[in-house]
Amino acid sequence: MTLATSVATDLFTAVLQGTPPGTVYALIALGFVLTYKTSGVFNLAFGAQAYVSAVLYFKLHTEWGWGILPSAVLAVLVVSPLLGLALERLIFRHLRTAPALAKLVVTIGLAVALPQLCDLLFDFEAVAGVTPEGIVPDGADVFYDPFGVYAFSRNELVAMVIAVVAMAGLGVLFRFTGIGLQMRAVVESPRMTELNGIAAERVSAFAWALSSLFAGLAGVLIAPRFNTLAANDFFNLVVVAVAAAAVGRLVSLPRALAGGLGLGIGIALLTTFLPRWSDDHTWLQPLQDNLTPAIPFVVLFGVLVFVPSIRRAREAGDPLSGVDPPPASLASGGRDARRTMVTRILGTVALLAAGYVLLSQGDDVWVFLVTQGVAMSVIYLSITVVTGFAGQISLCQGTFAAIGAFAVFQLVDRYDMSVIVAAVVGAVIAAAVGAILSLPIRRLSGIWVAIATLAFAFFFDAVMVKFSWVGGGETAMLQGTDVPRPVIGPWDFGDDKAFLVLAVIVLALVSVAVVQIREGTVGRTLRALRGSEVAAQSIGISPARARLTAFAISGFIAGLGGALLAMHQETVNYGNNFAPFTALFWVVLVVTLGSRTVEGAVTAGAAFALFDTLILKGTVFGWLFRSPDRIPGLFPISPKWRFVLFGLGALQFARHPEGLLEARKKKAAARADRRAQRAPEAPPPPREPSPPVPQEEPVA
Amino acid sequence: MTSVLCARKVTKRFSGIVALDRVDIEVGEGERVGLIGPNGAGKTTLFNCLLGVLRTDGGSVELRGEDLTRMPVHRRARQGIGRTFQRIELFPDSTVREHLLIAERVRHGDGRLWKDLIGLGRPRRDELARCDEVLELLGLASLADEPIERLSLGKGRLVEVGRALMTDPALLLLDEPSSGLDRGETAALAETLRQAQADHGFAILLVEHDVELVADFTTRSYLLDFGRMIAEGPTAEVMGSEAMRLAYLGDLEVAG
Repeated sequence: MTLATSVATDLFTAVLQGTPPGTVYALIALGFVLTYKTSGVFNLAFGAQAYVSAVLYFKLHTEWGWGILPSAVLAVLVVSPLLGLALERLIFRHLRTAPALAKLVVTIGLAVALPQLCDLLFDFEAVAGVTPEGIVPDGADVFYDPFGVYAFSRNELVAMVIAVVAMAGLGVLFRFTGIGLQMRAVVESPRMTELNGIAAERVSAFAWALSSLFAGLAGVLIAPRFNTLAANDFFNLVVVAVAAAAVGRLVSLPRALAGGLGLGIGIALLTTFLPRWSDDHTWLQPLQDNLTPAIPFVVLFGVLVFVPSIRRAREAGDPLSGVDPPPASLASGGRDARRTMVTRILGTVALLAAGYVLLSQGDDVWVFLVTQGVAMSVIYLSITVVTGFAGQISLCQGTFAAIGAFAVFQLVDRYDMSVIVAAVVGAVIAAAVGAILSLPIRRLSGIWVAIATLAFAFFFDAVMVKFSWVGGGETAMLQGTDVPRPVIGPWDFGDDKAFLVLAVIVLALVSVAVVQIREGTVGRTLRALRGSEVAAQSIGISPARARLTAFAISGFIAGLGGALLAMHQETVNYGNNFAPFTALFWVVLVVTLGSRTVEGAVTAGAAFALFDTLILKGTVFGWLFRSPDRIPGLFPISPKWRFVLFGLGALQFARHPEGLLEARKKKAAARADRRAQRAPEAPPPPREPSPPVPQEEPVA
Repeated sequence: MTSVLCARKVTKRFSGIVALDRVDIEVGEGERVGLIGPNGAGKTTLFNCLLGVLRTDGGSVELRGEDLTRMPVHRRARQGIGRTFQRIELFPDSTVREHLLIAERVRHGDGRLWKDLIGLGRPRRDELARCDEVLELLGLASLADEPIERLSLGKGRLVEVGRALMTDPALLLLDEPSSGLDRGETAALAETLRQAQADHGFAILLVEHDVELVADFTTRSYLLDFGRMIAEGPTAEVMGSEAMRLAYLGDLEVAG
């Protein structure tokens, strides 16, 4: 009897405890669904929007001592909607007809760029351990206990009330107002709606402002739950929101609400009951410690994989989308061989010269940075395969790389394996994980693959890394994750310059392999699949198998690159190198510069490692003008600009999915053609404007 | 005549609505068969059931005696069902020849990763020769190196046909091949298809709205209405039948 009573009490307590975070999750899920419904944008930058408001509120109230009301009004009611409007007006309005995947990439770029830009604008630095305040005085210190089992803090109560009011308001808006009806119409097809005489742009702008308001509200309300204001936490929040929204299949507002509440309560229930069970079953112990934070990711992954309607959901299809022009093609298809050859030779010579200078005169810092760039280039080639060739956005490349790095650490540490062999084994393990991961998600399309891989990355981050046989557990926390440099026969790569040579050799081998794959059957199969899945199937290509191959190859390359990076730094350093949020930036960088070519990946690697030192610290400026102090106070520019610039660089993905490098080449080729046409001895122009190569006259 | 395709009692329901009701259809070796019916008759549904895009709720599909009923799309394709699309489906970033090349590769199933890695994945001369043969047959030889973005719709549909031919199909399913084409282009397409068929000996099942094309091109036809096969026989007979008049124009006496 007493046992039953205590279980009932605990259950009740857990439900009460889970309700406050649950309502805020619901709030975020609603805001998220709102933009997804009205503009088809799967807004991963939603957490960044929440972060902006939270930072602004913190700045105004805590640092500058404004009152609660003016701070909250400015941060939430004024700035949030304006931010939403700005995003819609400046970015997403122009992308309305872009494919859903392109929009997703743009929001990933924003998720990286916005928080950093906000920090720079407001001159904000997160101070560890300074808990943000809520929007009521003494919110965290005054408690109410209505049922005598769980004491709500004043913050929690206020958050619940505000969230409920906001949600009710949204319901009324959708059901009873003209703009609500129009919003529902815009969901179906913006262009159809416009043909019916409704300004879809205005409706969409309104939805963005509203959604952003929800983001800001949620950001300010949830901030007191974190002990430090950090952009990463807010990004995790959006993943939680996606999980909640996925319960409602991303279109139903009431179900998103229920999903948010359910997640909050579910987490509370598990934190209450898991410890009891794990007393009796010790094998549950690591799960108990790690599973609770991972619940949203497990739920998200599970919904994606097991709910058939999501699985079958194609990208939010505009019935009029068929009138869009086909995507841009690679420049190389239309360039003449001579120009390509000259560029290649010049490039090789320049690289060799740079390498010679570096090896003979470079100091430690430069050798370190270049080696890092080379290792990153290897990892980025994995993105070339999965995103550039197979056309899938994978957000768990950091996880594959981490698997390679951890494998080297574990195999060498435990079994004293040769470092090089361990690196290859690690890459094989990463390939196997990639292959296995591709199985449950093989039927998902477009953005869902991105979201499922993101969920997997977060799951690995929250659970797997903490296992002692993966991340080294507590010993690793104390002693670090040492990874030695390899020794092959007479060569000891402990020397930094020698290791650089090794890294370059690995990069060269992987590059050649990637090019061979692109030109070979696997590359052609993937290209066909990316171009048209139905047509690829109609000639006998199995999409599941092709994607499995792509994920396995990509996993292998990422694992190898991760191992290389760990060897170079002589530690795994998971948090800095491979965490999910970090890996987002990789994807942004590679798709911005060019995801289909080796050149794009290598440039991205160089940009990752060298942009800060070369550009932001003023080194290149110094070379050009003899001193970096020509413009006093300009350098060093904050390294945060790197994230801002490349994050915003992702904006052009919708227009140039082939990347900046290819877009530039194509422009150059078109210019050369025009010049050739103007010349009197030029061959007669073929029937299309601006053709890349003069064609031979067809023989009938 | 032995049959290439033999589908028996194919049934498909969409949440309570019976889209196909125990439909039988048979296509003989080298035959040209038409499938006609008014809008909403279930032609596309039947097509998708034959191709494996949709799972049937009953009945069986056999190709040259091989049971395809449970096979996914790509395996049916390997068994010998080729197709073209109503709304053209080509691979961007590829030339005309590359479309045929990838089909040729898949047919021989030698897409091994290690072959790519040691450079054996690049197009071989014999493969290119086979592609060029088909291109020649379809009159696409002069366009072989064109990126498909520059082709007209009619040529694009021919590329689809060529791509399907490379898989050496026993049966070619043509989904409204005349859509988007003018009269002249349609006639030219029909002529090219006849020649290709004479060369390769596959059978054709044609779904088409263009009654003229069906009458001209096919020898035998099926008439589908409300998910039931209501008439079958030589095309001219089906076209002139009472069932055809009823299906397309309705029961005039009752209506009038």
